Amino acid sequence: MRTSDLIALALGNVGRARVRSTLTIMGVAIGSALVVLLIALASGAEENVKRSIFSIGDLRLVTVQPFQPGSTGLTAVARTITDDSVAKFRLIPHVGGAYRQFDAPLGTIVEGGEDAAVRPQGIEPNAPVDRGDLLAGRHIAPNERGVAVLPGNIARLLAPTLDGAVGKKVTLRLGGAVKLGQTRIAGSGTPRDYTVTVVGVFDERNTSQTSVRIPLDDAIVAAAENRGLAPDDMRKLTGYSGVSLETEDSRWVGDVVTAVQEQGYSAFSLKQVIDQIDEGFGIFRGILAGIGGVALLVAAIGIANTMVMAVLERTREIGIMKAVGAAPRDIRLLFLAEAGLVGLIGGVIGLALGLAGGRLIDAVIRELNPRVNPPSIFVVDLGLALGSLALALGMSLVAGFLPSRRAMRMSALSALRYE
Amino acid sequence: MARTTELIVQAQDLERTYESGTAPVAALAGLSLEVPRGEFLAVMGPSGSGKSTLLNILAGLERPTAGRVVVDGVDLGTLDENGLARYRRGSVGIIFQAFNLLPRYRVADNVAFPLLLAGVAPDERQKRAAAILERLGMAPRAGHHPSQLSGGELQRTAIARALVTEPALLLADEPTGNLDSANGEALLVLLGELHARGQTIVLVTHDAAIAARAQRVVRMRDGRLVA
Repeated sequence: MRTSDLIALALGNVGRARVRSTLTIMGVAIGSALVVLLIALASGAEENVKRSIFSIGDLRLVTVQPFQPGSTGLTAVARTITDDSVAKFRLIPHVGGAYRQFDAPLGTIVEGGEDAAVRPQGIEPNAPVDRGDLLAGRHIAPNERGVAVLPGNIARLLAPTLDGAVGKKVTLRLGGAVKLGQTRIAGSGTPRDYTVTVVGVFDERNTSQTSVRIPLDDAIVAAAENRGLAPDDMRKLTGYSGVSLETEDSRWVGDVVTAVQEQGYSAFSLKQVIDQIDEGFGIFRGILAGIGGVALLVAAIGIANTMVMAVLERTREIGIMKAVGAAPRDIRLLFLAEAGLVGLIGGVIGLALGLAGGRLIDAVIRELNPRVNPPSIFVVDLGLALGSLALALGMSLVAGFLPSRRAMRMSALSALRYE
Repeated sequence: MARTTELIVQAQDLERTYESGTAPVAALAGLSLEVPRGEFLAVMGPSGSGKSTLLNILAGLERPTAGRVVVDGVDLGTLDENGLARYRRGSVGIIFQAFNLLPRYRVADNVAFPLLLAGVAPDERQKRAAAILERLGMAPRAGHHPSQLSGGELQRTAIARALVTEPALLLADEPTGNLDSANGEALLVLLGELHARGQTIVLVTHDAAIAARAQRVVRMRDGRLVA
């Protein structure tokens, strides 16, 4: 038998029992729609979480912190990050760059008043923290001193426009007690004033509203003066606040993290967080898919029932077909094709229903809560679309297997005698 | 050897027993039969004599418990289920008493159905079905469904379906059983014409008047041929 004839025969038979076929197809469609909808919901949630993590930073980065995690995870031993240890980090394979960071004492920008409490971060030029989020001006240049890059919210306290803030000279009062939000922090030492020129403004929405980026050496000097030490002693005694290691590619992150930990330091990477999120969402998605799967299973039982009925009703027809030369294989293929058609049509309708339902729920949520504006609540990619069709088709073939075998094994003679 | 090629059916020592309740029932008990090419043979016997079982075995619908059947040079015992199906749609055509047409398909599609199973292209099979329907005077009915046909027309459709593959052997099981006398007579005339053109026919009946239309008559009783 030709494939085109097989499909035409199967289509005719599915169309013949119109009401029953429609009901069975509806069952498959509802199950498929549920699977699509639930998996799309899980994918959408995962995408939103990942998107916000990507906005925090670069997946190629490994952040080294100045302590060694204890065995229980609750205890930690302080470890100093000196220039020697940074030199060792640079030797780890696939580390492309190491950027030191030094946190100066807390303080305020005097011109900004009480709301302008800041945490000055001493960074190196071209450090990963200092890339691509500029709203105005420029980043800190190599060997530059006495400059600062401010968050947008503080720059707006200084000038009506962000560009207007660039070029202003402001006083950083560091050390002593500081009020950060509602909390008053008792700082150490006597406050000292430093005059810096604002060279740039960064977007505070994805990072921090209180960070002020200043040159690394300025931060070390400020901390040393606060403690009454020489800057070089400061480097040796307290060490750096952290080091960002940039790997050549995110696939090396795991290796670099291990190497840093072997040197006795804590290492953190967004890549590993993402991997854990992937794992967690995999389970979440699996559970949701399982719920949809139960609906599909019920639909499969519906298909099996329909096919058993069809085989019984068409016993005589099967006998005639066999008598005029249909091979057992032809009969089996015909009934499998009918089951497959029901599954495929149901799958297509289910996919359409799932997509439409997702859009509708999406629209309703946005309508009810216009302030929450996630990029997308339901995410249906090509893999999910094709996968749901394959699932509906595969499931219907499994459901049609036993009835089609029964039809195939029927004796032509007894089928002909069947009334 | 020249003689054997002339034989289209060679059945030797056929036995067929059915398990029925406590005692097995023998439908065929050592039957041997030879049919030369081009013969119109009638197998006559009362009901229960085993004549339908013989026909079903020749049709490849049933296998003998013992014995050997060779039709058109093919030993049916060597064929598996798929092979028997190929045999049914290639070497034999069967006319049933109950017509056994597919009710949902038009006359032309019923006739073309064996060709569809054989994988013949749609154009070709419609052409062949139309030709045979034309020959049997059924061309005006080609687009009708079986429910719209008279008994005689149904049987002629069934004959068209049996002949469409140009089988070496045409088998008929009480073909006039469901027809009135006029249609029955027309059918017998048609079989006679087919025979005159060289078609080998084996017809099974309990009616001596019908059997008398054949070239040769053999009688069966209790699963055996009787003289």
